[in-house]
Amino acid sequence: MIAKTRKVSDYKQLNTELPTVRFVDPERVYLNLTTSRCKEYTLDVKAGDHVKLGQIIGERDGCFFRQPVYATISGTVEDKVTMIDSTGIDVECITIRNDFKDTYHESITDRPDSVIEKMTQEEMVEIIKEKAVVGLGGSGFPSYVKLATEETIHTVVINAIECEPYLSSDYRLIKDQPDEIFQGLSYIMQAVNAKQGIIAVKKTKTELIEVLEREAERFKHLNVSIAKLGDYYPQGWEVETFKNATGIKVPSGDLPMKHGLLGFNVSTTESIYEAIKHNLPITKRYITVNGDGVKFPQSIRTRVGTSVRELLKLCDGFVDDADKLELVIGGPMMGTAVKSDNVVVTPTTTSVLVFRPIEYKEEPCVRCGSCVYSCPVHIQPVSIMQAVKRNDVEAIKGLEANKCIECGLCSYVCTSKIPVTDYVKDGKKKIG
Amino acid sequence: MDFIQNTAPHLRKPNASVVRMMRDVVIALSPLVVLAIINHGLRAVWIMLVAVLSMAVTEYIYYQIHDAINRNREGMENLFDQLAKLKKALKEAEQQDQKDTLKKQIAEIKQAISEKKRESKREENKRFHPINKNFTLYNYSILVSGVIYGLTIPDATPLAIVIIGGVVAVILVKLIFGGMGQNIFNVAAFGRAFIALSFGGLVAVANHVDATSNATVLGELVAAPFSETGYSLTTMFTGIGLPGTLGEVSAMLILVGGIYLFLRKSFDVFIPLVYVGTVFVLALATMLVTDAGWWFPLTHLLSGGLLFGAIYMATDPITAPVTRPGRIYFAFGLGLITFVIRLFGAYPEGVVFAILIMNIFVPAIDFPKWSHTQFNWRRAIIFTAVVLLSITAVMIGAESLAGGLNG
Repeated sequence: MIAKTRKVSDYKQLNTELPTVRFVDPERVYLNLTTSRCKEYTLDVKAGDHVKLGQIIGERDGCFFRQPVYATISGTVEDKVTMIDSTGIDVECITIRNDFKDTYHESITDRPDSVIEKMTQEEMVEIIKEKAVVGLGGSGFPSYVKLATEETIHTVVINAIECEPYLSSDYRLIKDQPDEIFQGLSYIMQAVNAKQGIIAVKKTKTELIEVLEREAERFKHLNVSIAKLGDYYPQGWEVETFKNATGIKVPSGDLPMKHGLLGFNVSTTESIYEAIKHNLPITKRYITVNGDGVKFPQSIRTRVGTSVRELLKLCDGFVDDADKLELVIGGPMMGTAVKSDNVVVTPTTTSVLVFRPIEYKEEPCVRCGSCVYSCPVHIQPVSIMQAVKRNDVEAIKGLEANKCIECGLCSYVCTSKIPVTDYVKDGKKKIG
Repeated sequence: MDFIQNTAPHLRKPNASVVRMMRDVVIALSPLVVLAIINHGLRAVWIMLVAVLSMAVTEYIYYQIHDAINRNREGMENLFDQLAKLKKALKEAEQQDQKDTLKKQIAEIKQAISEKKRESKREENKRFHPINKNFTLYNYSILVSGVIYGLTIPDATPLAIVIIGGVVAVILVKLIFGGMGQNIFNVAAFGRAFIALSFGGLVAVANHVDATSNATVLGELVAAPFSETGYSLTTMFTGIGLPGTLGEVSAMLILVGGIYLFLRKSFDVFIPLVYVGTVFVLALATMLVTDAGWWFPLTHLLSGGLLFGAIYMATDPITAPVTRPGRIYFAFGLGLITFVIRLFGAYPEGVVFAILIMNIFVPAIDFPKWSHTQFNWRRAIIFTAVVLLSITAVMIGAESLAGGLNG
């Protein structure tokens, strides 16, 4: 099939009909002390200590930033264990046994609106930094860096596209907490002094548009509009969202802030609200459990630090008749397949997908060009693949492999079922 | 529970498949095969059969030998690597004693290899393995090449020549370059051009008792470029009673196949559109400077292998560029060369030569330094200028040709 493909089929109904399961009180939570960015850490508590919700228990140490680790429940500290995080790497976690009391730490106090109204950008950035708010769309990029921009921002864009198939965690969040999202947006706009706010959402999600438009009516003074964007992949890619929501094209390699745009994921916006209003770190999030390898797919609101095993148990576990399964953390197009189900929910975990693996027969490339036609950044995956095979660094540079956003469309459309994306990623590494 | 760690993406497009694409081409070609059999009877059956079998059998034998050699080397790759290194060192060695030690080492490794061959799976290797995973009949690739090759052959061609063309094309164009996906030239076009150039007059159209003339439409045009042929446009469209090659005569059935492929998205529709469009526009321009009528561009459009070549041969993705602008340049080049050969060349038909010539330019069009996936203003202007220049050149040429014929 030689065609430009922008639609990634969902194959089956998303689990948007079922109500969100609330699973906020697991027996134990596991808080990751390391991440793929931060390999070092300091721990302020020891086994046997009692901690309160929102208490700082340690600090992750990245190369250029430090990030506090917060207890997401109150309870007793236990051992350190090794688990897998959303990027598929082993991370060290500290176990906390839940005392089911949810005693808040003394620092967790609400800020009155009158105080928030007078806050400056610096004060807000300080709170976001202190509460370790990161990009929850999956990047995990510290949000305070974005919020501390010195460029003049005219528009704040909230990305509620969620273009990956199977996922519905952002969908849930908007349906359940639209008010918090608008509050969060108002804080961001106040911080960067933006005139305009845009919430970008897929035009096919009519239920969400209804909810958001009613909220926008309520927050009329904010000048927020709802951008209804086309239902295709990768619409949620920041540059694509900006282009379609505002008409401004951000060139490859430029920061959007330079063009007066500031983008946040919708879940990040909600956690910014929690941080500024309630002085809370990220303690809960929505997780989608989906795929044909799990018995009863559903959406779950859960505590950060919950074991994925428990979430799967909540969904009746894996299907019985499969002896091999693929467990994917994140979306099906860009997510990571992990080596075991010993996975922990971190703030950036959006979903747990279980697939029955399909073995495709790989054929020789016939240069059909589907990958070239479908590439959202207009590069030539097939030519890059051939250049990578013959290790031709000059050619990889000439073909602009560095523009690749690793969306996975080239592998998705490949008529020969070649993992083209892997070759392009290799090419990116080769040219550094 | 075992967990499989595939790389992202974890979804694949369900109906994107090479087998589906190739099967579609076979389906699109089948009405043409039926028409060929209706027109030429058993003769067509023989030519088609021989064309397909000559290619398929050659490939099968080649891969059987290829596999047998590889099976023999299985588990001994490092020994062969060492042997190659030592042989290279021997070539470069200068002193006699150095050479002697190297020769000794080579003999030792050869000994080790032959011993290993003796002990390892000797019985297994002797057995005949009928299934061959490299053989491209299972994904219809060789069948497509064979059927297209067969359909481009005129009905009076001796079967021996058909076999020679098929065998030579598969070996020289496909297998030597590394099999499916690696060929630079279109296999069918090469086979056709090879027999046309090697056996000239033998590759011919039979005399039809019931037809008014036994020359093909383009044959008449090469004799008198600007006078109307003896065939009506309706005959050319339906292809009934029209002399020509097995599959190229019926514009109607070729278009039906093309529409099928377009609806199934099994080919890139831009290539045939631009190719046929270029020939039509050039013929139109020629019509303006000579006293030929409307029949002239229409005849060029419907006659010969233009539609067949544009829809089934030029769209072979392996031998076409990968970007959309690249494919448009490629198809324009095809149209220009085809028309120039038809009007000014010694051969009546230029389609297979145009395809082979433009195949040479594909690596140049796809060259990493300047290949691009989108048009911009600069590129569009340059391309338009090239198109206009070509049209002007063809008009000047046609005018002087017509003047020469009249004077």
